Amino acid sequence: MTTAGEPGRRCSRAIGGALLPALLVALTACADQPAGRGDVTLVFKHAKILGPSDPLPRLLREFEAANPGIRVVSESLPWSADEQHQFYVVNLEGGNPGFDVMMLDVIWVPEFARAGWLLDLTPMVAKDELAPHFPAAIAAATPDGRIWAIPWIMNVGMLYYRADLLARYGLEPPRTYQELVSHVARIRAGEHDPRLDGFLWQGKQYEGLVVNVLEGLWANGTRLLGEDGAVFPDPERAAEVLAFLRMLIETGVSPSWVTAADEELTRRPFGNGRAIFLRSWPYAMGLFELPDSPVRGKVGIAPLPRHARGSQGMGATGGAHVGIQRHTRHPDAALALARFLTGEHAQKAMTSGVALNPTRMNLYHDPELVRGHPNLPRIHELAMAARPRPVTPYYLMLSTTLQPELSAVLVGVKTPAQAMAHARRRLEYMLAGILDGPR
Amino acid sequence: MTPRQRADRRAGLVFLAPALLTLAVLTLYPGAWVIWLSLQQRIPVFGIERFVGPSHYLFLATDPRFWNAAWVTLAFTAISVGLELVLGLALALALRGQRWGRRLALSLLLLAWALPSVVTAKLFEWLYHPGAGLVNFLLGGRPLNWLGDPALALPGLILADVWRTMPFVALLCYARLLTIPVEVYEAAQVDGAGRLASFARITLPLLRQIVLIALLFRTLDALRAFDIMFVLTGGGPAGTTETLTVYAYRSLFQTLQLGFGSAIGAAVFALVMLTAWGYLQMLRREGLAE
Amino acid sequence: MKVGRVRDVAVLVLLAAYAGPFFWQLLTSFKPDAELLVLPPLLPSRLTLEHYRVVLEQSLIPRALVNSLGVAALTTLLALALGVLAAYALARLPVPGKGLLLLVVIAGTAFPHIATVSPLYLLMRALGLRDTWTALVLANTSFALPLIIWLLAGFIREIPEELEQAAFLDGASRLQTFRWVLLPLVAPGLASAALLTFLFSWNEFLFAYTFTATEASRTVPVALALFPGVFEVPWGDIAAASILASLPPVLIVVGLQRYLVRGLLAGALRE
Repeated sequence: MTTAGEPGRRCSRAIGGALLPALLVALTACADQPAGRGDVTLVFKHAKILGPSDPLPRLLREFEAANPGIRVVSESLPWSADEQHQFYVVNLEGGNPGFDVMMLDVIWVPEFARAGWLLDLTPMVAKDELAPHFPAAIAAATPDGRIWAIPWIMNVGMLYYRADLLARYGLEPPRTYQELVSHVARIRAGEHDPRLDGFLWQGKQYEGLVVNVLEGLWANGTRLLGEDGAVFPDPERAAEVLAFLRMLIETGVSPSWVTAADEELTRRPFGNGRAIFLRSWPYAMGLFELPDSPVRGKVGIAPLPRHARGSQGMGATGGAHVGIQRHTRHPDAALALARFLTGEHAQKAMTSGVALNPTRMNLYHDPELVRGHPNLPRIHELAMAARPRPVTPYYLMLSTTLQPELSAVLVGVKTPAQAMAHARRRLEYMLAGILDGPR
Repeated sequence: MTPRQRADRRAGLVFLAPALLTLAVLTLYPGAWVIWLSLQQRIPVFGIERFVGPSHYLFLATDPRFWNAAWVTLAFTAISVGLELVLGLALALALRGQRWGRRLALSLLLLAWALPSVVTAKLFEWLYHPGAGLVNFLLGGRPLNWLGDPALALPGLILADVWRTMPFVALLCYARLLTIPVEVYEAAQVDGAGRLASFARITLPLLRQIVLIALLFRTLDALRAFDIMFVLTGGGPAGTTETLTVYAYRSLFQTLQLGFGSAIGAAVFALVMLTAWGYLQMLRREGLAE
Repeated sequence: MKVGRVRDVAVLVLLAAYAGPFFWQLLTSFKPDAELLVLPPLLPSRLTLEHYRVVLEQSLIPRALVNSLGVAALTTLLALALGVLAAYALARLPVPGKGLLLLVVIAGTAFPHIATVSPLYLLMRALGLRDTWTALVLANTSFALPLIIWLLAGFIREIPEELEQAAFLDGASRLQTFRWVLLPLVAPGLASAALLTFLFSWNEFLFAYTFTATEASRTVPVALALFPGVFEVPWGDIAAASILASLPPVLIVVGLQRYLVRGLLAGALRE
């Protein structure tokens, strides 16, 4: 039975019949376009990679090819670590940061985790997924037991030495700092070169100074924070370390400008053959082995020496992790990118290209990589014996409070005892009432 | 009150309102708020916000770093302002007799004053470079480590600041000198006064007022100075150039302790306001201030 | 007369030497990298534009220049607009509590910025104004305003009231008198105040350093302070950036000297 509306219904059905396929065709056409709707764009913030070439752009394109529908925009951070930290804090604190995946210095992870800026990866990443990485790196990525970031780049403090100079005088790499000082005296007496510096290290008033001092404390059998969170639990041993550093400058074993020197300011003179010993990170080796380097083939690496009252010297670990911003709109894509970057393929590419050290331990014995970088197994050993800086959200507060006090000792404005007393008083006041205190 | 006066009064309030509102929100309110902040332990990064009363002030009272900063601030202020006054006066006297090239002279003089303080800091950082800096070169090639030696950093900083601000003092004195009629000096010469005597007996007393005003401005500015020491030395080495302002800023934004840093800021606030008040009292006694 | 001329030239030479640091930076900005760190010779063997090229093409300075220009211009407009009205009210109109208000204004000129930076930081954060021009314009206006009000009040007081009285007799309202009679007369004073405000805003560092985070709002002093150096400090590039950062102040000092000096002196020479 036809009603008045039948012609209408037939009409609309016809239209629907025609429209629907048209819509479908349109939708599929849109999905085929590379930058169409439904695409995910991730913003990845990272520091500029030092070195002759930058492997990141190529790696990111690989990731995009393997993950159609995800676009990665890479943006670089400001130059210095302090500025990077400030950038992150300013943008994350205000909410609405414009990035999803971030490269983080290891010492920032506990702070950012506590501040609630990082996505808790524990539900998505299994503990044994992290197992291939260095224990120290894992420790830095998992403050209070939850997973906040994935290890990416590894660093460890070590001693560089001029193997040719030491060989000339029949000397072995020093096991103690006393040996180091006597080696310097011996070599300088023999070389008669007034411009040959003894021992270069980072004494500028910045994070690097705290690293150097921490390594010294560990080498003397003590630490910065005691079990109960007390600062300088063994003041005597700590004072010895500080006095030693000051002595290096006073007696000229280290030139006075180390008090204003950072990594690059110490690397250059050593790389030009003007110093016997250098404390630095692994990155410098790649630069020393460049074809036109004056010290090519003459540099050896060794563990840091120990002090008289310590059992062994050890380097501090450092490096970078990959973290995900808590309120990212694409957590799955972000995690995929993080996994890719920290995966074996990407870490291997970065090691061979730029001599950045990976956090995956197996790569240190990969035949291909070792051929290009014969020091890798050695660095692996050093990293296994190394220790992370205190893993606490308040590490930055600790460090920035300590820096001026330590610097005052180096330039001779305060005695070690004074500086330590001031530092302790200050830190105890700052951390008072902050619920769990330092670890 | 006449309708006119009432209308005027209304107009006055309407004209004043926008500016007063802006000042109230952006200067007065923060001025009060900083006191409130200084009574809290406030670390936004960790969401810590709790009242601790005068705890920060009590800590600062026995904090060696605070007193070192206070000492640096006062030394910096006293020496800088002193040098600026002496040099500014000397230059003003030299300029007074300038007949040819006055405009050029003022341009060269004011150049140093007009530059952004960050530019001045970078300028002097380069001048003080141990190896390639012009200063060491002019001193005979001695490799002085101006910005790294605890004994040299503060003098280096003071020199940079005096260079930057002396032109302002010179300009003030110069303008005042121009208003002293030549006849006064001619009369003194007729009476047999020499150059030095006319300087001491005529010039200096007539300059007294402007010198006091210059002193006021410059002292307040020096107490509040921040840019140049922050960029040139960062307060180093080892706090030898760390003024109260730099100490406050580092506490506020490097360790992100808004409560503690605000206490130092409030201390600077009190110091500056007290100094201003003291000066104004002195000027009022001289019959100068409004 | 001749002795006078010699003396004048001597003073000019002295002043040129005083401005020497600036000229040294200017020279450095044209010195090739290879010759920078060796002294003597003082003068370069050739001049190069390489540093300027690096600064203009690869650094954040060009964007920072735009930011500085915008912030300074807006600050000047805002501070002048608010300030001239307030100054007129304080100078001419029977405002209740005028003495107290003047005191508040003067106290405002002595405010240390370090004291207000932490509350302002929280305020800007709460208003979502971090890393914007607005935050800087507001902060700069806050410290320019007291100075402008004080300066302009002084300039206005110097203008005889008879002209305004005449306008009243003709039936003009306060606002009309202000707009059509007074404003043209105080224009030179406004120019001086504008120049001073522009200069202060251009040079401002503390608030800009605190409230800006990226090149979206970074002004030139901050960009210069944070100038990046990869391995060693790029003194030549920094010199070039410094010169670029100094252009507006130098232009004002050289070209608009009269107004600048007038503004500087007006604040101090009034009883």
